[in-house]
Amino acid sequence: MSLWFTLFKKEWLEMVRNFKIIWVPLTFLLLGSMDPLTSYYMPKMIDALGGLPEGTVIEIPYPSPPDSLMMSVAQFDTIGVLIIVLITMGLIAGERKSGVAAMILVKPVPFGFYITAKWAASLLLMWLSYITGMLASWYYTGVLFGWIPFGEFLTALILYGVWLTLIMTLTLFFSAVFKVPGLAGFCSIALAIVINLVSGVLSHRLKWSPALLQTYAGEYLHSGEFSAGTFPSILLATAAIIFLMVFAIIIFRNKELSG
Amino acid sequence: MSVIRVEALKKSFKNQPVIKGVSFTLGENRCTALVGPNGAGKTTILRMLSGLLKPSSGTITFPETSNNGDFRKFIGYLPQHPVFYEWMTGKEFLEYAGKLGGLTKEEAAVRAEELFETVGLGEAKKKRISKYSGGMRQRLGIAQAMIHRPRLLLLDEPVSALDPIGRREVLGLLENLKKMSAVLFSTHILNDAEEVSDEILFLHKGEIVEAGTMARLREKYRQAKIDLTLGNVKDMELFIEQVSNKDFVQSFLVNGNAATFFVENVEEAKTVFLREILEQHLPLIKFEISKMSLEDVFMKVVRS
Repeated sequence: MSLWFTLFKKEWLEMVRNFKIIWVPLTFLLLGSMDPLTSYYMPKMIDALGGLPEGTVIEIPYPSPPDSLMMSVAQFDTIGVLIIVLITMGLIAGERKSGVAAMILVKPVPFGFYITAKWAASLLLMWLSYITGMLASWYYTGVLFGWIPFGEFLTALILYGVWLTLIMTLTLFFSAVFKVPGLAGFCSIALAIVINLVSGVLSHRLKWSPALLQTYAGEYLHSGEFSAGTFPSILLATAAIIFLMVFAIIIFRNKELSG
Repeated sequence: MSVIRVEALKKSFKNQPVIKGVSFTLGENRCTALVGPNGAGKTTILRMLSGLLKPSSGTITFPETSNNGDFRKFIGYLPQHPVFYEWMTGKEFLEYAGKLGGLTKEEAAVRAEELFETVGLGEAKKKRISKYSGGMRQRLGIAQAMIHRPRLLLLDEPVSALDPIGRREVLGLLENLKKMSAVLFSTHILNDAEEVSDEILFLHKGEIVEAGTMARLREKYRQAKIDLTLGNVKDMELFIEQVSNKDFVQSFLVNGNAATFFVENVEEAKTVFLREILEQHLPLIKFEISKMSLEDVFMKVVRS
């Protein structure tokens, strides 16, 4: 187990040294605070800067608190996902490409340790950043539009976080399969888009799709009750995460690490 | 006592055989050189021994250890172009490698300290690896291969990338290393092999064409070599015609007006050759008798 922690600590130290530990949470913080702030101040800004003819009445209704929070989640679902994929796609593929993976894996390091340590470190960074962003959104939403009870906020946060975790795991899986980081990134994003599209179009038939967790988080905030597909999707996402990790390890173990 | 036994090892890439059935054993405290021209398969063999490549067929066993599959802990490996985490310091990387090799934190720190002295990196251990020169990287590479006291050290071209001073030092280091473990290193520079190794494996086109201790190879190829240069190509052709069927001439290589003869009985060869030259009035430019160097053995083995 101490061997696993050695690997984990190395991953963490690397994130500290290349400043991922700072810029990723900061980006999420920015993404999270942007929507509540612009929704609130936009009418005033147009008023001040807009040069609209005298007497024009601008009526932009304020979003409800759940809508405001879910606008931030929508940001995480695009730019946030992109960032997660970008910082994860090279973790294994990059080390194989540079050859440093061969230096490490000729030492008696279990392949499972090597991959799960990377996964755990990424998981920690991802949740840290995501929680930072969500807290910012929750805070500004509360100050500007009304408070969402913290417990409900936390539940919604976890619901959508499961989807982000699945995306991160998917990227790490592709990173273990391919030697080129860009290809791993492309496959992850392409697959995420396809799942999102299919789930959106066939949302009545695919109630268990993890891509719908964003919708379910919103519905929960509005109604205070879980929609029918919520738990099946969480279950499926968890199963997929475990499945991806196991297969990443099996595929990686059977790969030849040089040449 | 043998540390590793390799039997009928084969490897193909995309149905192209690269290693065509290689067998050898390596003994404790021996330094063995894997010698061959570029593309002979040296790196491929080392990578298979290190576990980075899977053999297409054949077996690799460590006789004195129970066979539970993972033999990586017995092995220290230095690739041809070692790569590190550039953002770590030399000390951090070496201690990290030690801990991955199964040492505790304290053991790794002590051992890293020792090795920095051994490989002569004491000054630079606190610098980031991104600032290291090629020679420093090579030394750090050797240190990380040795940190967990492996039974077998595999070094892929450990001195090829170094300047003459660095080469001297690393070759000296190899002498010391074999006190602690078996060493197998690849090189295409025959002098290096001759200098430090106890045994030599000649690899050519994926096969071991000759192998043995330095002493045995010297014994086997104890023939002398006569380098002869004549005035022009025509004279040489004439001369070859005269002597090529003599039994003491084992083989010869002709290159224009110069030729190298490998002969069994030097005295007889000398007399016959010189008499022939005098009788035919051939214009002699150079006549030199020498013992075979490893390089001659190698050329001979590779050409046959």
